[in-house]
Amino acid sequence: MSAVEIDQVTKSFDTVTAVDRLSLSVPEGSVYGFIGPNGSGKSTTMRMIANIFYPDSGTIRVFGQERSGTRSGQIGYLPEERGLYRKMRVRPLLEFYGELRGGRKVGAEVDAWLDRLGLSNRASDKVETLSKGMSQKVQFIACVVPEPQLLILDEPFTGLDPVSADSIRGAILEMRKRGCTIILSTHDMGVAESLCDSILMIFRGKKVLDGTLDAIQSSYGSDTIRVEVEGGLASLENLPGIERIKDLGQVQELRMAGGCDPQRVLQTLVSRTRVITFSVVKPSLHDIFVRIAGPQPEEMAVA
Amino acid sequence: MLRTLLIAKRDYLQMVQSKAYVVGLILLPLLFGGGFFVLPLANRGGPKDLRVAVLDGTGVAGAAVIQSAQEMNRRARSDTTFGSPSAPRYSFEEVKPESDLAAQLLSLSDRVRSGELSVVVEISPEALQPPSHPKGPLARYYSNSGGIVDQQNFWVPAAVNNGLRRVRLTQLGVDPARVPGVLDDIGVVSMDLVSKNPATGNVVQGRKKSPIQTGAVPFFLVFLLYIIAIFGSAPNLGAVAQDKMQRVYEMLLSSASSFELMMGKVLAAVGASLTSSTVYIIGGLLALAGMATFGLAPLHLIPWFFVYVIADVFMLASLGVALGSACATPQDAQQFAFLLILPLMIPMFVLAPVMQQPNGGLAVVMSFIPPFTPIVMLLRQSMPAGVPWWQPWVSLVGIAVWATATIWVAARIFRIGILSQGKTPQIGELAKWVLRD
Repeated sequence: MSAVEIDQVTKSFDTVTAVDRLSLSVPEGSVYGFIGPNGSGKSTTMRMIANIFYPDSGTIRVFGQERSGTRSGQIGYLPEERGLYRKMRVRPLLEFYGELRGGRKVGAEVDAWLDRLGLSNRASDKVETLSKGMSQKVQFIACVVPEPQLLILDEPFTGLDPVSADSIRGAILEMRKRGCTIILSTHDMGVAESLCDSILMIFRGKKVLDGTLDAIQSSYGSDTIRVEVEGGLASLENLPGIERIKDLGQVQELRMAGGCDPQRVLQTLVSRTRVITFSVVKPSLHDIFVRIAGPQPEEMAVA
Repeated sequence: MLRTLLIAKRDYLQMVQSKAYVVGLILLPLLFGGGFFVLPLANRGGPKDLRVAVLDGTGVAGAAVIQSAQEMNRRARSDTTFGSPSAPRYSFEEVKPESDLAAQLLSLSDRVRSGELSVVVEISPEALQPPSHPKGPLARYYSNSGGIVDQQNFWVPAAVNNGLRRVRLTQLGVDPARVPGVLDDIGVVSMDLVSKNPATGNVVQGRKKSPIQTGAVPFFLVFLLYIIAIFGSAPNLGAVAQDKMQRVYEMLLSSASSFELMMGKVLAAVGASLTSSTVYIIGGLLALAGMATFGLAPLHLIPWFFVYVIADVFMLASLGVALGSACATPQDAQQFAFLLILPLMIPMFVLAPVMQQPNGGLAVVMSFIPPFTPIVMLLRQSMPAGVPWWQPWVSLVGIAVWATATIWVAARIFRIGILSQGKTPQIGELAKWVLRD
């Protein structure tokens, strides 16, 4: 069953179409990642699922129910732009958010989460005294207490140090284990690859990718050669059948044009220089993202 | 509803626990009652003695005028309510007119400027036998004091007239000293109208009006309502803009609708205003009881006072929350402050005519214009004449309709404003938000 079903949803702001006839289905109990460039419509889509914005057309169903204007304790939402009542103390603040969403007392759950994320000793402090990372953890707790069935996290790892990011990642995986469906957006392709069961890419309001990482990569085929050669980038100029070269420093990634034979590329390289490593791989999510969203400055067009 | 109450509870507690609220709660009565404390302090050690020059153009009335003034001054100084005489002691000098009267008046005025004299009283030669159409005033006084409350107004005209009457009687062959009380004033008391008790049918004598009842009590009630309505609604402008700037609302909006959020804030403002109202009303009643003047308390108006506080704060706070939500920064919010204060300011400009004629056309019309109703109707109700019983109730219907319309407009601004970004919109743009689907 799908936790979220979006069908032909469009949302415009004045003359700008933020989301354009978007359809998607989020499997229940999965971690579903939204990727896409800034301004592509990720946050708008999340806000529509959270019922903060309403679609101009199309339907959104959450756990089979179309929601229009009603709030539900089933959904926890962490917005991209973080903000908490700075003058409130941590524990009363979390109890307020939890009771507002769940309609019941949540003191025990708040204590458990504060303990889980190492904030028990700051429970009586005012929010304004917390570091940015701590504030983000507090805001994360605010959207998981009481435990939601659907958790929407807009850029949950932004601004977090690796230790804090790991604790939030662990919490997300634990939530999934308990059966919670998680939708998160990220600009970190590593996070999307490692954490998400399914990935959706939105570009200019439209869906351009949707599926598991494996399925997405397979749809592009093994069109990438990763090489390490003596002479580096200079040895790779004018290779036959190569349309782009991405310089990663010690290693370069070559994207093959359709019909290109990697054996022929290898032969040409061996005839030019000493080849240290040569492998034919599926394109990374990062590479796929860049191919869709536009060339990056470090890329060099050779075709 | 539960979510609205939760938001209201949080905002209310934050409001009443803030330093600004507590300081304001304490400061207001100090500012309001400050004059009563400052006056005795300023007069500590007794008022300064003052010297008065009487320039008598009649040639015979100067001494009589001075005698009358001295008698009045003696009576005034016998009042020791505050422990010592509150009136200054006057001393007098009679001045004969000189040929160059203008130069003489200039010289006397210079003595007032230098502080040697406080008042110069000039009596015209015609004052004893005034012509039917005098060319100008028959008596004047010159002083450096003045303003709305001029102490000289209270005694100079009476002293001059009394002195002149004394001379006229003497000229008619009557020695005023032989007719006790011939020149004494008698007290004339202002009373409420005589009425009939509808239950018993008995005629009920009108009560004596007091200046406190007719002036101080209505003014106090209206001023209190005015201050509480401003303090209850205006801070929402900046506070909502501040929270919006700190990105507080988006997460809340996933749990509560924009209408619930707005109404929670409005209810919190109403709650805080009722709290301060209760403190002040109880404090006022205790103060009156302490001064053994509890009878002056308009107990029948207290429920109406609370109704008007709720109505005013409801209407203004919802607008304040909505306008604050549209602003990018708390500083931007200040530009809308006049919109909130206007419905309170306009009735304050008509306080004087309404107090003079509480059932006149202006007063009645103003009291039925919903944004002005709380202040004007309360003022009319608190005057001794009162208002027809049905008028406050009918005005409540107007308030209810107006408040509903205000909340509708506010909610439509709030739902867009709370998530808007970029520069603060102008009033025209806000109007478009209201009409947008």
